[in-house]
Parts: sequence; structure tokens; C-alpha cells
Amino acid sequence: MKLVVLLSVGRHPVSGKPALPRTEAQAIRIAAELGASIGLHVGPDAFPAEAALGHGLDRAVHLACAGGPDPIGPLVARIATEAPDVVLAGRRGQGGEETGLAPYAVAARLGVPIVPDAVAIRPAGDGLVEVDQALPKGALRRLVVRTPLVVTVHPNAPAPLPYAFGKARRGSIERVDAAAADLAAVAPAPEERPYRKRPKMMRAAGGSAADRLKAVTGEATAGGAKILDGPTPEDAAKEVLAFLRRVGVLAPAGAGATGPTA
Amino acid sequence: MTYAFAALAFLMAGLATAQALRRAALWRLGAAAPVDWVSGLAKLPKRYLVDVHHVVARDAYASRMHAIVAGGLLAATVLTAFAILPPLAGSHLYWGVVALAFAITLAGSLLVGARRYPKTPKRLSKGRFQRLPILLLAYAAGGTVAALSIALAGPGNAVLPIALLVAAAGGLGLAYEVKGGPMRHAVAGALHLIAHPRQQRFEQDKPDAALVPLDLDAPKLGAELPADFTWNRLLGFDACIQCGRCETACPAFAAGQPLNPKRLIQDLVASLAPDGPAYAGSPYPNARDVAGEAGPLFKVIGPDAKIHPDTLWSCTTCRACVEECPMMIEHVDAIVSLRRHQTLELGAPPQKSFETLANLREADEPGGRPLSARGDFAAGIELPVISKRGAADVLLWLGDGAYDLRYGRTLRALLKLFHEAGVDFATLGEEERDTGDLARRLGDEATYQALARANIETLRKYRFNRIVTSDPHALHALRNEYRAFGDDFEVVHHTAFLLELIDGGKLAPGKLDAGTVTYHDPCYLGRYNGETEAPRKLLDRIGLSRVEMARHGRRSMCCGGGGGAPVADVPGDARIPDIRMAQAAETGASVVAVACPTCTAMLEGVTGRSAEVRDVAELVLMAVEASRADEPRRAAA
Repeated sequence: MKLVVLLSVGRHPVSGKPALPRTEAQAIRIAAELGASIGLHVGPDAFPAEAALGHGLDRAVHLACAGGPDPIGPLVARIATEAPDVVLAGRRGQGGEETGLAPYAVAARLGVPIVPDAVAIRPAGDGLVEVDQALPKGALRRLVVRTPLVVTVHPNAPAPLPYAFGKARRGSIERVDAAAADLAAVAPAPEERPYRKRPKMMRAAGGSAADRLKAVTGEATAGGAKILDGPTPEDAAKEVLAFLRRVGVLAPAGAGATGPTA
Repeated sequence: MTYAFAALAFLMAGLATAQALRRAALWRLGAAAPVDWVSGLAKLPKRYLVDVHHVVARDAYASRMHAIVAGGLLAATVLTAFAILPPLAGSHLYWGVVALAFAITLAGSLLVGARRYPKTPKRLSKGRFQRLPILLLAYAAGGTVAALSIALAGPGNAVLPIALLVAAAGGLGLAYEVKGGPMRHAVAGALHLIAHPRQQRFEQDKPDAALVPLDLDAPKLGAELPADFTWNRLLGFDACIQCGRCETACPAFAAGQPLNPKRLIQDLVASLAPDGPAYAGSPYPNARDVAGEAGPLFKVIGPDAKIHPDTLWSCTTCRACVEECPMMIEHVDAIVSLRRHQTLELGAPPQKSFETLANLREADEPGGRPLSARGDFAAGIELPVISKRGAADVLLWLGDGAYDLRYGRTLRALLKLFHEAGVDFATLGEEERDTGDLARRLGDEATYQALARANIETLRKYRFNRIVTSDPHALHALRNEYRAFGDDFEVVHHTAFLLELIDGGKLAPGKLDAGTVTYHDPCYLGRYNGETEAPRKLLDRIGLSRVEMARHGRRSMCCGGGGGAPVADVPGDARIPDIRMAQAAETGASVVAVACPTCTAMLEGVTGRSAEVRDVAELVLMAVEASRADEPRRAAA
């Protein structure tokens, strides 16, 4: 099996020093155990490629370009030439330039499926792979997907292998200047706004202390998962409406415009 | 017939040389090391008679036994060799002297035998060692009778051939043992004293314990195979006589963790020469299963090799084994060298240290805590930061104990004392990174060197006269190990500094009435830096009655907190700090005085303690406050 791991520059959550995002280090571990894998990084700095070698990859490609342009073009071009079975990536950004959107953009441009939040991947023969996907509350879903595909790695995947200086020294980094034709400005242009806490939905107070705690932590809504297998669009819409009424987004049926009540 | 006797001496010398040369061929598989043979040879007698004797004499019996048996053996053999000179061969007096030398050897052989028979002490190895007294006895008894018979009845007597045969069996047996048996320690030991990898330890009063920096551009990092060690280190392993003093001193061995320094050295020997005699000493406690494959070019560490990784990571690097070793073997250097390969090349440090090492690399701090939070412990006590002032007389290095709630109490006491004495001091504030000591002991030399360089660069920005720290690990790094990276700061431990303040009249502690106190020496202060007196003097100054544990000073027992052992957390039967606190309880002291953040955390973590754990600084502050409380009363009187 041939794999490519997408690498980015995150930040250490405490020190703010550049660091390979943890989920990417976990992706490296998964990839290295599955077969021939290379790391791929687009950006001005070779640091993630070097870190990836230390965490267990034998080979990494650094597509050098100035910071600023959209990295998706060079990434997709290189992935197309490598033709891997699986492209692995982290699940979300870790404070650096990375946004966590790259795997989705890459999958869309390549026209391949994306499976988010994987904790394990196994070859399932005949161009198929079995992916264990992490769901909330520790649940796992096993998917069998046809390759090629993009997979993002969940923090519950096996812990990353430690960085080994000697491995980083032994591995090879291929440095190529990203083709100017592949580089385009990020569109739509990103906009920076100060962080604003999302307002919490008010719920009717009352009930026991445990109920109030559930209301605050959102436990009450997450508890009643209901799975419909191949529902008709009408049934599905009814369920969604019923759910929205239950959590108070929509008024209860027949209650008019008086708003949610307990 | 007298010539046959002399010939025996030459034959023995020849056989011993041949066996030693066969062994030397193995040492030559090791990496090159510069050795000054001329100077080493000139210093051999002093090293043997002073340095080695100093250690051997801790066991008075062993010391006397060696003096008699080794002295006798050498004298008798050399004297016998002179029998090739005809005038001597005919002299009754000469043979009388030879008989006397052999008789001394005989007495020594009996001492050797009496140590092993009828019951061999636990720490000694058996196997071929049990044969040694028999060989000695045969050579000495045969020689005595032979020489005596010539002296009394002339060379033609009937007893002589039989006596000579017995002597030859013993003597040639001894010479044969030079390659793989007990007698190897005599030859390898002498050569090891000449070619010792740490020449400084014989040249200075203080210990030579700084690890040698690893060349990060070397083709291979750390030791993987026996042949990766330098040849004089391989020679050092061969010098081991398996006396087991190291295993009685080793805290991991005592706690039932799978480490026995003696066995470790013997496994290194057996890795180099798998065809040697089987090991017959005490095993690793709770030994992990290993397949035991070995060879000079086969890896040393691994479940399929000779030594299990758990053995490697059990070591606290306390150097108790090095301190006790009469053959001056450097166990800890070997362990660190093997650890470096595991961590740097294989990426296989202990599982539980992954995060610690990642934090050290990415956050400059083992706990992943913000560097700006290091000063939080001060909580209202003024803590000047040098970046705001540019200069100070004393730079206070806080170390990672500052993040610990318990140790914050100690540091607060130290700050109060500094303010009381009017010390002009400052800290590095958030510019202080970890010294990297933990990364280094866990084999991550790359992270250590990065931290060392960064710290030195920071320190060079500011003007100060010296560094004071309460952390002996930081002290050892800054004082000894950073030297290789161009640092030449004067570093003082807080106990020595407080003593100086009191002697200089800057602090006036009163007398404490807090029962008896026993002082626990931190390994990195006592054994690594030879500083055992200042904390004791401080305790005496503040009027505490001091009792000593059986193991104290440079022979103190580790708290279990060094060398990354708490991070590796290899399971054993007991916890090292529990053992140490039990030793403290034996003294009946109500206070255990400590002088190191790691010791504080380890010893204070013991459940069911009968004694309080207090840093020396806390006790001094109590004494200072006690004297202040007395003053108004005295003024009123």
C-alpha cells in the first residue's frame, strides 16, 4: 500500500513554538505501519518534513514556496503524480498557519472520498481499506472504503512514536520548488476577526442539579441518539424536526410563536 | 629439579601473557580511544595503592586478604624465577626465603577460601570463582613444600617432584584463568587503571562525573553493539571481579527492579565474548525474559538480545555502583551510552517518557508548563527578574522544582532568607529553560544540547557573579556538564550559599529545638559533586542534633528520583523512596533534611512517614524566625 501524509506547521499549545501537530504525528505512525509512505509539505519552512522523519517516515517531500499562496495546488499536483492509495492528514489545525481544511480541499480537487476521524486503517484486499472511525463518547464505526481516499486522523488514534534525532538525520528530504502554475491565492481571501465566544443556548432552568449540569454541558441533547437505516425523506425530515423541537430550536408543534417551553 | 621449579614460574608468566593477549584481541574490536600509556603506567602504582585501596579497604577483610595473597603470589613467583641463577639455586637460605613467600601465599589462600567456604556471601559470584581458592591453595601449598624440601633436604629429595606437580597444577591453572576466569581481573584491572576512560577521577579530589557530550554528527549515535564501546571501556568491563559491592549499593536492585549492575557488566562482557563461562551471581530481580543472543557485532539491548530494555531504564544514574566499584568501572557511562542509542537512533525511550521528551523538545520544560509560570510559587514574595535590571550579584536558578507545590515552600523559604540577608539576586524569569538534565539521562542528547546552548546564550546576556540553585541536578549541569559547551559560570548550591551568609554574619539564625534530624545526601550533590559538608554544618549551626543514616555522604542511597527513573517507572517489588525513608526511620530522627527538589518529592511521597521531610533552607528559615521571635523578649529582659 502506498501512502502520503500531509504535513503542516502547528504550534505547541503552551510554548507557541512551531511543532508538528500531534494528529499528524499519529498519522505518520499509522502510515509507517501500513507501507511505503512519504510526507508532503508545502510552505516556506522544511521543519515539518524534518519532524516527520524523526517521527518515523523514511522520506519526505518539501514543496518550497513563499508563505501566503494556497498550498492546495502544489499538494494536489504532487499527490496526483505519487498516486497513493491513502492520503492521511491531521484532523484540525493546531494554532499555526494550517486551517484543517486542506484534507477536504484536497479530496474535493482529487474527486476522492474523505473519511474523517480515523483511529485505525487496515488493508481489506482488492483495492479496499477498512477504516475505524471515532464517534463521540468512544464509539467506533467500521467503514470499508474503496481506495484512493483521504483520511483524517483522530486524537484517539495510537499515540505518536517519539521523535528520534537519528531517524530525522537518516531520512531523506526531497526539496522541490513548487511550480508557479500550481500556486494561487487563497480564495476566498481569509478574514481575521477577534475570537468571540459562541453564545450558549439558554434553556429553561429547573429540574435537579444533575439536569441543570446536563443542560449546561449539552449532555441532555447528545444522549438520545437515534439511528434510522435508509429512511424515506419524509421520515428523516420528521425526525429532524422532532429533534429540533426537542432541543428548543423550533417551537413545539402547535404551540404557535410563544417560543420554546419546557 | 630446581630448574624445573624456576621453569614453572616462567611457564606461568608465559601462559598468563598468552591468555591475556587472546583476551586483548577482543578489546581491540572496540572503538579507538586515545590513551597515554607512559603517563598511565607511571601513575599505576599510586592509583592501585591509593585509589583502589581506598575503595577495597571499606571491606577490611578483603583488603587484608588481597595484600597477603596477591603480594605473596607475586613475590613467590618472581623469587622462584631467580632460581635459574646457579648460585641462588644452590643456596639453602634462598630456598628458605622462597618457602616463606609461598607460606604467606598459603595463608592468603586460606583467607580466600574462608571467605567462600563453607558458605559464600550472597553478593559474591560462584561458578569458576569457587575454584579460585583451590588453585591458589594447590600452588601455594605445593610451592611451600617444594621450596622447604629443597632448603632442608637439597634438590634431590623424593618429596620435591610430587610437590612440584601440585604447584604446577595450581600455578598453571591460575595462569589459564587470566582469559576467562577470576584471574582476569588482575591483568584487566591493572590495564584499566592505566587506560581508564576518566583519567581525571584519579587526579582531583572532587568526583569526575560529567557525561561526555555526544558528537551528533557521528555515523552512529550511542552504543548499539559491544564493539561500539571504546576499547578501554570493554577492558573496564573485563576488570570486573564480580565482588557484588555494586549490587548491594544499587537502589533499583534493592527495590526489586530488573537491574543488577554486576549482572549488567557481566552481560556486556558476555555480549562481547559469548563463549565465556556462565554467569553465576545473583540475577536481575524479577528478570524479564530475553532470548540472550550475543556477539561483538550483535545488538546489546532488546528482548532478543542479552539485556532487556527494562534493565536499562531502571537505573537512577545515582552512581552508587561507580562509587563502590573497587575496579573503577564506569557503569553509568555505559548505561547512558546504551540509552543514547535507544532514544536517538531507535526512537525507543521508555513508553511513559514520550510526552516528557516531546515537552522538553517543544516547550523547553518537561511538564509542558508555561515558562512564565515558573515564578508563580513566590506568591507575593518579591522575585526580581534579571531582564529588568540587566545585572545582579547572584543569579537564582529555580529549576523545575519551582512548578511543584510542595517544593514552592522550600523556594519561598529561600527567597525570604535572601531578602532577610539583603542578597542582590535575580532570576531569569521566563527566559529560564530546563537544563535538559532529564533529556540527557534519558538518552536524548540532541534535545539536551539544544537546551544547553540556548541556556548558555541566555546566561551570557546578563551580568552576574555567580549562580545559586537549590537543584543539584541543575547545579551539576550548569557547573560541570555545560563546560563542554563553553560555559564557565561559578555555580553554588543553596546550602553552601546559606552557610556563607551565616558565616558572613548576614543571617543570624537562632537555635531550633526540633528533635533530631538526619540528612539525606542528594546523589547529584554528594556523589556527583563531592559536597557533603555544607548542609551538615548548617544543621549544626541551627542547633539541631544530627544523626547519620548507615548510608550517608558519598555512599548515600538514592531517593529513586534521578536519571529519568520516575518517568520510566519500571515496576519492582518496592519503591526506592520507601526503602530510604525506612532507613531514615531507623535513626529515630523526627526530621529528614533534604537539599534537592527531586529528593523532596520522592521522600515526601512516602506514605506512613514517621518523620517530617524538610529542606535545609526551610529549617534555616525556621531558625532565623525563631531568633527574631526571641529578640523582643531579650530586649525586654
